[in-house]
Parts: sequence; structure tokens; C-alpha cells
Amino acid sequence: MTFLAPWALAIAGSGATAMVLLHLVAQHRPAAFFLPTTRFIPDTRTVVSRAATRPRDLVLLALRVLLILAAGAAFARPVLVPTRGAMARIILLDRSSSVASTDEVLARVRAVTVTAAPSTIIAFDSVPALVLPSALDSIHSAGHPTAPGSMSAALIAARRAAVLLADRADSVQLFVVSPLAISEFDSATLRIRAGWPGSIRIERVALRANVDSGWRLERPLPMDDPLGPASRQIGSVRGARVTRLVRQPPIATDSAYARSGGTVVWWDSASASRPTPDGLSADGRVIVAALGRRVVAARGRVRARWSDGTVAAVDTPVGAGCIREVGVALPATGDLALHAPFQDVARTLLAPCGTSQGDAAADSVVIARLSGTGGQAAPADRLRAAEDRPSPLAPWLLAFAILLAIAELMVRARTEPKPA
Amino acid sequence: MSAGPYGALLDAVRGVRWPAARRVMGATLGAHPSQLRGNSSEFSEFRPYRQGDDPRRLDWRLLARSDRAYVRLTTDRATLRTSMLVDASASMAFPTPAHDKWRLARELAIALAAVAHSEADPVGLAIAGAESLVFTPRARRSVLLEMIRALDATTPSGTRALAPLITSARASRLVVITDLLGDFDELLAAARLRIAARGEVIVIHVIADEELDPPPGSLLAVDPEQTAMRRILDGPMRTEYRASFTRWIDNTAAALRGAGVRYIRAQTSEPAPHVVRRIADGTPRRGG
Repeated sequence: MTFLAPWALAIAGSGATAMVLLHLVAQHRPAAFFLPTTRFIPDTRTVVSRAATRPRDLVLLALRVLLILAAGAAFARPVLVPTRGAMARIILLDRSSSVASTDEVLARVRAVTVTAAPSTIIAFDSVPALVLPSALDSIHSAGHPTAPGSMSAALIAARRAAVLLADRADSVQLFVVSPLAISEFDSATLRIRAGWPGSIRIERVALRANVDSGWRLERPLPMDDPLGPASRQIGSVRGARVTRLVRQPPIATDSAYARSGGTVVWWDSASASRPTPDGLSADGRVIVAALGRRVVAARGRVRARWSDGTVAAVDTPVGAGCIREVGVALPATGDLALHAPFQDVARTLLAPCGTSQGDAAADSVVIARLSGTGGQAAPADRLRAAEDRPSPLAPWLLAFAILLAIAELMVRARTEPKPA
Repeated sequence: MSAGPYGALLDAVRGVRWPAARRVMGATLGAHPSQLRGNSSEFSEFRPYRQGDDPRRLDWRLLARSDRAYVRLTTDRATLRTSMLVDASASMAFPTPAHDKWRLARELAIALAAVAHSEADPVGLAIAGAESLVFTPRARRSVLLEMIRALDATTPSGTRALAPLITSARASRLVVITDLLGDFDELLAAARLRIAARGEVIVIHVIADEELDPPPGSLLAVDPEQTAMRRILDGPMRTEYRASFTRWIDNTAAALRGAGVRYIRAQTSEPAPHVVRRIADGTPRRGG
């Protein structure tokens, strides 16, 4: 049997000890002596106290001690068959497109879960999902991940799972098995992490290699082209996959190029409607800028979407390759092309079909802040919801109640009974 | 008359004279100087005849020899109605089981009554206890025996005010034998009235030795007249008790003397005949 609130036992033990000491103080009323001049005795007390070597009123003492101990044991929340463990684990398993090898992630997770502590596994990309340990293989069989990861969503899921685990463990340890790509962090991540009352153990796996160097544009873009600054960081490795950028609708030669395994990107960036402030998301990268929309038929795999869900770019498989139609018009003036977020989105939209934009690892400062210091697991009482957490006043109130009970005994012992 | 156990006491006080504190008013021939001057045989002085004097009191022989009219004055003696008021409240039954205070009170009452009776004074008795008993002063021979029987038949108990009995007593000399633990203020007021009416009031304050020096050890003192009053008397309390009790005795004596009452303090360790002689001789001892 264990006690969930052992401090109550300690308080009860102190109270029982005090009770025994009180019973050692023998308070007795001397024999009555009729004295006509009693009125000249100062009226102070009617009992005499002296220390005794044996407690008086053994039966009464036993009842009182048992009463205090029983109350203390009740407040100590006894559990006959403990289902509560000392430690539980939450493992955040990264299955996003930033992961180089799912096998490595699963191996790390299995290494963590090999211990006896119960583990809750949450696989996450942009959406976290609970995974049974026995179903880890299903992640492997799902193929290579394509969705971007969100550490914020994963941490929120871990925090929610911890509330449930707090009832079954004294502390909860959080593991993150992830390459910790910079794309998985957003401005809310570290604030969400601050809500975890402990440190986070990082199991870092390999980051998916940057594929920018694995492809190139068929013809380099001039720097006055809105996409020119973005294309400067695109590799020029000879023999790598090649993307053909066309400004007009693809023609037969373009289709033949795609059918042979190439990628044709039809992006008429200069056309179109008047740019308006809008949001664009491509492969996990988001920009908000003055952009123009052009209607794109959603016939293949969506490569980018507007903020309202409308398709902004779509890959249409053609033979061994594909043709990508991009419905994003860029403003003729302004410095949008110089902004790094836009350049990331542009590179994503120019990348060959079947690839995703490579990612960079988060810097050490961010990782250190995510991990925290001390290496302690989060205590269960701090993981519970605030309304479920016992008030720190509870033990003091219990101690105060026991003190009052003892004081009541002392006052009653001193009070002179009314004569019959 | 059989005095029973009081025989030795009566023998001890035989011959004691207990004169009145002042001339008494009374026509019955007795042992105390009277305020009246009449026809008794105890010549006092001559006084020139004045108009209005009784011609029968003229000394005719002197008139015949000297041709001067003188009236022959004599000193009259009268009896003094004396009454004993004995406090028989529960506080007099102390200490148990000897009841020394009550014993001393009885002996004093009987001894003083015997002394007064020996001078032909009518003596009366009032017992203030759970049940009051009043004997009006009488001079007959059996009165002392009746008093002994009444006192012996009484066991101190309850609480009874003394003041009404002081007011209603039909005696010129009133002896109050009490421990003064009852209605002291009322008693003092009644005594003042009686003294203002040319009465004589003697208060014998009966104090037990155990009251001055209670038995050692821790005691739960209980007032016999107010059993709800219970207080611990142990080492630290004892000194304060003694000081408080002594201060009260002194204040009480001063208050009674200030009212014209003759205050006599009698402790249970002092034999009753000694107290009687102190009263009769008018030489108080120890605050008396």
C-alpha cells in the first residue's frame, strides 16, 4: 500500500506524539476540602499539573491516537494496489519531411522505450497523432513523409498527454526524437515549451539532406527577374535534375521534356491581376505579401495553396516527369524578391517534382532553449490542470485542525465542571 | 439542673462577673447599675429638695434636726436582658469532623449565658441556621438547660442571614457569635442601629486555626455554603490566601469597632473560659 499524500501521515504522527505527551502531563483535581474561607483564595485554576512517567487514561489515549492516525491516513490518500509509477515518458516522434531516415527515428524511439517505464508515443508532422508502441511499424510502412513538421503542435500534444499521465506517475519525462529542423519551429514554439515544467531530452536524428544542390534551372534567370534572387541559391551541379521554367503555357516540346522525366514549371509571374495582400503556403513555408492570383486547375498534386485553401500551384504528372502550374503573380515593383521567406517559397515552387525543399538544422541556442537545463522530469503535480491540483493550503489546514483538536482537549481539561 | 458535658465549662466561669458597659434602664432589681435612682437601700447622697420631688423621699430625720429639706438618693441596680445570637450556618461546621468552630461557639454561648444568668439577668438565645430557633430572654432557672439542649440539637448547615435576628432581638445586650462569612454588611448596619438605640453589641469572631493555616499539600477548597466555589490551594496560592484572609480580618475588626461594636476574636485553639474572661474583664487580647 502506498500513500499519495504522505505529508498527511507525518502531520498525523506529530499530532499523535503530542497527544501522548499531553497524556504524560497528569492533570488531576485534588481531593475536595471544605474550607469556609475559600473566597480568599485567588481564582485561577482547579486542576494541578505534573509530569508523569506513564501516560494517564490509557484507553482514552489509545482512542485519541487512533483517531488522529486514522484521519491522517485518510488524508494521506492510501492506495492498496498502486497503479502509479515513478516515471512515465512521452516521446515525440518526428515523421515530418525534415527527417532523413524514418528507420533511424524508429530505432531511437525503440531504444528509449526499451525500459520498463510506460511510454506514450506521439508521432508528429504538421499534425500530432498518438501511436501505440506496438504500431510503430505503421509509421515505417507509410512511406517517406512529405508533410512539414510543427514542434509547437507536438509540444501542445505532449502537454495534453501529460495531464493524463500525471495521474499514473510521479513525474513525466519528455523525449523529442527529431532532426530539429528550423522549419519545425515557429514563433510560438519556445513559448509553448515554457509551459512544460521540466527539461526535454533531445534525441537528435539526421536531417534530410538539402536537395537544393540536387537540381538546377535549365537556364539561369537574370537578376532583374522577380525570381532571380531566389535562383541564386539554386545549385548548378551538372548531371543533377533540371527544372525548365516557362512563362507561357507549355507546348509540345515542353510536354516531351516532361515525359522524359524532366520538370516543367509554368509560372507566368508577371501577368495577371492586381496584387493584393495575401498568404501563400508551399511545402510548409508561408509568406504574406502583396501577390496576385491566377486560377489553377487542381488536377494533380497540390504544391501550394493560398491562405483560403485555394490551390496556388499543382503538379501534373506527365510520363516520367511532371508539369507544374503556378498561379502566383508577383508585383512588378517592390523588394519582395529580396526577402528570404519569399525566396524559400520560390525555390520550393521551382524544385523538381517529387522533391521537397531541403531544410537547415535549428541553431544550438534554439535547441538549448528547447531542451532546458537540469535534466529533470516534470513533476506530476505541476502537470495537472490547475483546478485539479491540490491547494498548498491543504496540509496547513489539516495541521491547524489537529492543533485545534489538541487545544480543545487542553481547554476542556482546564475547564471546571459545573457542580451538580 | 444537669449541665452534662458543659459542667467543667460552667465550673470554670463560676464567679466571673460580667458588668454592663453602661448604666442600664430597668426596674427589675439586678446586679447592674441602673440609670434610675429610687428607694433602694444602697445610699448614694443627699440633695436639696426641689419642687416636684417625691415628698416620701425626704429625709425626715435630717429635716427635724437641721430644719433643712434634703432628699435621700440611692443607687438602683437592675437586670440586663442579654441574648446570644449564634451563627449555625454551614461555615461553622469546620473543620470536619470535629466542628471546632461550632463547638467553640456553643461553649461561648453557654458560658456567657451562665455568667449573665448568675447575675440574675434574663438570657435568651437565637440560633441562625438552616432552621432558626429563638428563645426570648428569661430569668428562670431552667433557661440555661434549655439553651444547652437547643444548641446540642443543632447541626450547622445552610445559610441564614444574621441581620434580621439582630434587629429583632429583645435584649439590651446582644452577643453575636459568628465567623462573619455571611451577610457582613447587613450585620454591620443592624448593629449600628442597635447601638444608636443605646444597646450593647458584642461580636465574637470565631476563627478556626485551620482557616489561618490550612493543611499542607494541594487541596481543592470548596466553600461549604457555595459549593460552586472551588479553588486550588497549593504552594503558590497559600501565601496569597493567608495575606488576603488576614487583611480581611483586620478590615472587618476595624469596621465593627468603628461602628461601636465590641469586637472579640476567638480562635478555636483558645479555651472558651479564657474568651469569656476576656469579654467579662473587658481586656481584649489579640485584637479583641
